[in-house]
Amino acid sequence: MSTNYNDLQKLNSVLDSFIVHKTIPALGTMLGEIIMHSIKKTHEMSITNLDLIISDLEEMNVMSAVYIKCDGDLHMGALLYLPENESKTLASKLLGRTILNELEGITPSSISEIGNILTASIINAISDNTGYKIYSSVPGYAVEFFRTLLEAVVSDFGNESGALIVSHVEFHGLKSGIMVHMLLIQNPSEVKLMI
Amino acid sequence: MKHVIEIKMGCLEIITNETEELKTFVGSCVAICLFDLVSHVAGMAHVMLPRKSDGKQSAIKNDIGKYADEALSYMICDMIQKGADPKRIKAKMAGGATIFAHESETGLFNVGPRNVISLKQILKENNIPLVSEDTGENFGRWVRFDLNSGTMIITSNLKKFEKII
Repeated sequence: MSTNYNDLQKLNSVLDSFIVHKTIPALGTMLGEIIMHSIKKTHEMSITNLDLIISDLEEMNVMSAVYIKCDGDLHMGALLYLPENESKTLASKLLGRTILNELEGITPSSISEIGNILTASIINAISDNTGYKIYSSVPGYAVEFFRTLLEAVVSDFGNESGALIVSHVEFHGLKSGIMVHMLLIQNPSEVKLMI
Repeated sequence: MKHVIEIKMGCLEIITNETEELKTFVGSCVAICLFDLVSHVAGMAHVMLPRKSDGKQSAIKNDIGKYADEALSYMICDMIQKGADPKRIKAKMAGGATIFAHESETGLFNVGPRNVISLKQILKENNIPLVSEDTGENFGRWVRFDLNSGTMIITSNLKKFEKII
């Protein structure tokens, strides 16, 4: 592994600051409630050790997920996910009405929009602080087990080194109890650009 | 009871022992198996990407299965060294799904189908027949390969099926 502990700690702090100043206000406004967050861990891992970040809970639950890829002066992958049944609650909250049909097309669109806004808040914060130009892809939506989502994201991100920097962020709506997870993925070679 | 060898992302393994079974999980990646049932040699690679961009041989044996071109080249050579007859080598594969759908068709997130196309092309170039496949769609698959029977067993937790090809 090429990234030392101090650099990972610094990256953690930088991301935390961006999330506090940009992402939390954006999500709070969308959901109309106070949002708490925590970055559970920022670490470097080999792509052959993905099992390390797949919890039993995530192995058993089908997730709704949105993936956005960011390119430009800095490369980043953002995977937003939450259990599928909770995604309907989240979509209902955004739309102001109950989602009755799980196949209703509006659910993927509204979850994708949340992914879009959260990712944009982070890349805007990075751009504001560093001057880097970063472009984000259209959001990709999926309903699958976490293992499948992670495999697809890592494959798509496809860096040469075989290692990734992964930050796991949790957002928690205090009133609704909704828990949204976000994985931020970066190349180890680009950590220094952020800190 | 078979000894199961799990192939991690971007890795590959060659086996010559019929008591061993190869296993991996793929979403947009592809599990490609080459086998010669007469010589009892088989290999499985967990291919992540279609081609290695720089053309340089990977220095780390661990991720030799990452790129379709490098993985197949390595597997064919290693299988021949272990006794496989190139004329008898056949292939089966599974995976290559498009996991993330998006509202506009921009060609993003389609690494799965590109992996499948690339592997088929490389197999053709090497005159290796692809005898069966379970590819595409939008879900992840557990893939097992049994050297004794030459069967590939595919299961999907999401779709709740088991398929033998």
